[in-house]
Amino acid sequence: MSAGIDPARDTHATEGTGVPIRFRVYRRKAGDRAGHFDEFALEVAPDTTVLDALVAIRTRLDPTLMLRHSCFHASCGTCGMRVNDAEVMACVTKVLDLGTPRVKVEPIANGALLGDLATDMVDFYARLAAIGRALVRNSEWLPSSELPPGIEAHNRYESCIECGLCLSACPVVATDARYLGPAALAAAERAIGEPRGLDPGFILNLIDDPQGAWRCHAAFECTEACPSEVDPAGAIMALRRRAAGARLRSIIRRRT
Amino acid sequence: MSEQSVSPEPIDPGSSWASRRRRGIAGWGDPRGRRLGGWAFILNRLTGLGVLLYLSFHLVVLSLLARGPSAWDGFVSLAGSPIFLCFDVVLIFGLLFHGLNGIRVTLVGFGLVVDRQRAMLVALMVIGAIALVVAALHIFAAG
Amino acid sequence: MAQLEQPPAGHGGPGWTPSGETARPTWGWIAQAITGAFVLVLVTLHMIANHFIVAGGLRDFADVVAYLSNPVVVVLEVCFLVAVTWHGLLGLRAVLFDFGLSRRVETAITRVFTVLGLAIVAYGLWLTWTITSYH
Repeated sequence: MSAGIDPARDTHATEGTGVPIRFRVYRRKAGDRAGHFDEFALEVAPDTTVLDALVAIRTRLDPTLMLRHSCFHASCGTCGMRVNDAEVMACVTKVLDLGTPRVKVEPIANGALLGDLATDMVDFYARLAAIGRALVRNSEWLPSSELPPGIEAHNRYESCIECGLCLSACPVVATDARYLGPAALAAAERAIGEPRGLDPGFILNLIDDPQGAWRCHAAFECTEACPSEVDPAGAIMALRRRAAGARLRSIIRRRT
Repeated sequence: MSEQSVSPEPIDPGSSWASRRRRGIAGWGDPRGRRLGGWAFILNRLTGLGVLLYLSFHLVVLSLLARGPSAWDGFVSLAGSPIFLCFDVVLIFGLLFHGLNGIRVTLVGFGLVVDRQRAMLVALMVIGAIALVVAALHIFAAG
Repeated sequence: MAQLEQPPAGHGGPGWTPSGETARPTWGWIAQAITGAFVLVLVTLHMIANHFIVAGGLRDFADVVAYLSNPVVVVLEVCFLVAVTWHGLLGLRAVLFDFGLSRRVETAITRVFTVLGLAIVAYGLWLTWTITSYH
């Protein structure tokens, strides 16, 4: 069981050694006209994470809470959330580090919702596919299955864990459904830097677009939110440098 | 398993029942959870729109010049009042912030100085603050 | 080493397409940067010349006529008007485009703002001419 939560301890117990925290958790299921917040009271230990608390809530208080998690150490990218209005990975965010007894938990913003805290990442993956980074991993195949040709190219050793926190933090994604977004643009920059046999020209053409690399307004919220040091904003600016350079070269080439 | 292909099937991004939970303008203006660059973004936007609004008033007021000295000089006597001078200081703040942050956005936007963009922002704001104080003193002392 | 799947030419892959049939090169942002640089210089000159070196902080009518009698001043002020109008309308256009409007609406906005910008500059030229020819 996760560290810090004692399954035997009931939240209505009159005494305990944990710090009492009030969690407000966003709830919305298919068919609800609007979302609302449910409140849960828990006692937490010094190393209890937000994810630990949410799992305890689901286990002991409300089994209808929908949330996703997997690795518990910020490498699968599954448990991204907005905790007290900041984009974080819930599994490595300690409740007591938040510095307040009132903790608000919401799903990541700007994405479709499956229910409660679980976001539909379909749109996110579609953007990555547009750059040529389809989401198939070698490890998902059983040893006995037939691997399609080219599958090895999809093993990626990249910092991006595809958590979607950058899209949640970006002010442009908040209003603009057509903006490609920081994650896909950072993937584009990686793809151009390491094409692996792909002609990167099509990617450069793709992102050299008003709704591609040029839509960014340098807020750098994506870079601040990223749990994995991808620096999407830096990647977007690098893409602009490439795009501007390519355009300058094509102008010069036309003149000579 | 063997029917699974490498590239994904065409996806309809609007198919999820609660299609978009976009934050909308709140994603621009909500101060909670905002970090330094996010503040620069929203202030750049507000000062830009504010100065544009001022510009439209300014262009309309300038039409007084076409009506000759009496019309224009009447306005000049109004423009020395304290409330006007306060607006002037606000305008100068807007111009300074937008211009100096604009330097950062331009340099960074061409892929230059990206790794030290936070430090550059802070430095430019310090310069702006000093310039604002100097301008405000001049406005209220001379005006 | 095996190849990545490349989406069909001119298409951004499932779920996302660029702004045009083929991605159009975008000059708007570069124009914003260049006009912005001009505005930075010219607004400083404008503020100093019209407010900070003038007794009382604002030129009266006679002062304005005298100021505009210098052709260098006229050229600089016209350049300033062009730069600030262009930069301002590009900026407003960028804010509107941040709402992810359709390509048709975006084209319409660009056209309207172009006409508006030309009208503003024409107004400025007319005003300058009117003032300098005042008797």
